[in-house]
Amino acid sequence: MRNGFRQSMAWLHTWSGLIVGWVLFAVFVTGTASYYRTDITRWMQPELRREASLDPDAVARAADLAVAHLQTHAAGARAWFIGLPQPDRPLVDLFWRGRPGTPPNRVFLDPRTGEPAALRDTRGGDFLYRFHFELHLPPLWGRWIVGICAMIMLVALVSGIITHRRIFVDFFTLRRDKAVQRGWLDAHNVTGVLALPFHLMITYTGVITLGLMYMPWGVTAAYKGDMQAFFAETGQVTQPRPAAGRPGTLAPVGPMVRHALATIPEPLERLTVQNPRDANATVIAVFEEPHGLSHEHPQVAFDGTTGAVVEVRAGGLRPAARTFTTMVGLHEAHFAGPALRVLFFLCGLMGTAMVGSGLVLWNVARLPKKGGAPGFGWRLVHGLNVGTVAGLPAAVAAYLLVNRLLPAGLAGRAEWEVRAFFGVWLATTLVAFLPPLRPRLAWSGAMALAALLYLAAAAADVLTARGLWDDPAWFLGFDAVLVLLAAALAVVSRKIVRYEPPRRARKADPVPAPGGRVAAKPRSAGQPAPAMRRETETRLGRA
Amino acid sequence: MTAIVVLLNLGLGLAGLGALRLSLARHHDAVFAVPLARRRALAWRAGGWVAIALSLAVAVRFEGWDFGPVQWLGTLTAAALALVVVLSYHPRLAWWLVVLPLLSSAALLTGLSAGGP
Amino acid sequence: MTSRSAAKADLLARAAVLGRVVLAAGGGYGTAALATALLSLTLPLTRAEAVTAATLASFVVMVGVVVYVFAARSLVRAALGVGGTALLLGGALWLAIGLAPAPGPGPGTGARPGMSVPA
Repeated sequence: MRNGFRQSMAWLHTWSGLIVGWVLFAVFVTGTASYYRTDITRWMQPELRREASLDPDAVARAADLAVAHLQTHAAGARAWFIGLPQPDRPLVDLFWRGRPGTPPNRVFLDPRTGEPAALRDTRGGDFLYRFHFELHLPPLWGRWIVGICAMIMLVALVSGIITHRRIFVDFFTLRRDKAVQRGWLDAHNVTGVLALPFHLMITYTGVITLGLMYMPWGVTAAYKGDMQAFFAETGQVTQPRPAAGRPGTLAPVGPMVRHALATIPEPLERLTVQNPRDANATVIAVFEEPHGLSHEHPQVAFDGTTGAVVEVRAGGLRPAARTFTTMVGLHEAHFAGPALRVLFFLCGLMGTAMVGSGLVLWNVARLPKKGGAPGFGWRLVHGLNVGTVAGLPAAVAAYLLVNRLLPAGLAGRAEWEVRAFFGVWLATTLVAFLPPLRPRLAWSGAMALAALLYLAAAAADVLTARGLWDDPAWFLGFDAVLVLLAAALAVVSRKIVRYEPPRRARKADPVPAPGGRVAAKPRSAGQPAPAMRRETETRLGRA
Repeated sequence: MTAIVVLLNLGLGLAGLGALRLSLARHHDAVFAVPLARRRALAWRAGGWVAIALSLAVAVRFEGWDFGPVQWLGTLTAAALALVVVLSYHPRLAWWLVVLPLLSSAALLTGLSAGGP
Repeated sequence: MTSRSAAKADLLARAAVLGRVVLAAGGGYGTAALATALLSLTLPLTRAEAVTAATLASFVVMVGVVVYVFAARSLVRAALGVGGTALLLGGALWLAIGLAPAPGPGPGTGARPGMSVPA
């Protein structure tokens, strides 16, 4: 449409990117943070003492204590989920759903005593992780919105690649000292193109992770919609055992845990108890993934009333199912050790920067002429940009900060942390909309606020929680990362204040060489200026 | 072990991408006084691809066919980012950003092959 | 061109864009859904593998359709292309369902009811 394939793709890239950009930015920030989900949780519960190792008897005893707690408190539930203690997180993590309409229950127990664990109430890294694909909305809504945005991002990536004619020549080009629009375009290209394999991978595998929810029609056609039958047949879960409808008594789970631990070499992650009070009760031991890209948990299923092994599931997936679990594995990167994890994190940051610079670029490319006032659309995008690109990192910092400031015994403490997150996000966005605030001041102010909040979170940790640290080096390392983030945001804020805009849009600018030496004439690799300009505008979707 | 292989991948990626960058007239002429000759460009390009292929070979050799390619792409991305950011501030370093990583990679590789996987 | 006819042309262009967005979303998803269902029934693999492979590929189909809709020379052409493809896939799916063996154990390892996915 418009004229020519490339222009229509440029148009598609600009507008599809803008429409979902804010959601995608939030998804990228929280998703990137989720690579360190367990570390964030650990930081937010400094009272927790880690253990050197846990022997099978300790795990079995913890499982028995967990079931005892659930028998008294969750007798009516259809299923119990029991997270078992791990050396780096020695806690029993209980989850069950009560009557429909009531929120699900989650309790942490001390694995030694079976008493509720003495920890500050927080959702930790799990909040960011769930926000990444549910946006703190009802799960169905959140997942569909994120899925639609991810699909549009896939379209934006493909159309962006088509639009970007000279990918290889521009691959290494980042011009910071030229026209502001050119700089932002370069930043968008560099973060987009350099990490393109990651962007394509993370977007596609992200859609695939929830793919059966978005695209259930294969299961509808071949299984008449029976999703459970499909999962069991692919070999990802053990065979289901429907409830018998007669009451039964659950056998002690301790022996089952010992048996499971002797069967599978991986660490035991959790137990699922299906129909705990039925004659056909089932206990399933779910293990961590073996070392490998593929995300597949070995499982051992027991008859709940007799304790006999019903099924052992470990490996042996067929190619398509294995492709699926490998895609999920690549998305979650559970396999990544410290070095690889840093690389994934860096790629996530580049994705965040790509979305953020794309959003800013929309504004920069449409700056009002000198003396002109920005229109409503421009101000709307600007306000949302500041609120998201600067406000969301500030919100994450606030989430961490109040974790150290709220009193430990406060009722509904975990919810107050979440409220702080949304409060700071909302406040930043609203302030950005204040009419007298000049755009540049809004940007630098919001960035400075975010920097201060990260610094405050690190300071609050050292001041209030120092006595609780079980491993001071680890906590100081985490705080150092927070200080680094604060420094980076402060630099950005300062740069925005100090920035001297070059005279806008010298249309006949020759192709600038990198490093400030402006080429006198377009060179072989370059193009005559008018063509350059046309291309820039094409890429900005203004043609 | 993995950390050393990651460093090696980073070094080879930096050297390879740095060489590829110098095979482009626009970037080459900003550093060197002599304009880029065609044969020179081809030599830079070939050298660059060899270093990148070598990086993949190293990653697969030490990390296997599942983790190797993932690590290779990850380090290549990080190297590209480092290259672009550093050179946008100090374009004159282009030559050193090829030679130094190459030398340190060679040293690391010798150490690794001596130590065995 | 008078300002009036210019405004009219502008409105038409906007309507065409809206039409493409609707066609890309609906047509893209519909075509991908039909292709998934069809491939799930016809791929020469076990039932579970066919469904998995078809679902994995479905999002590529959808992106392809969306890019095609926005690249086509006119909205009518795009609609004809997407509609024709969907019709073809729908017809094939209808045939595949008609020819499918009577309900019973599939070509896989037999019917196996499932349990819920781990939380």
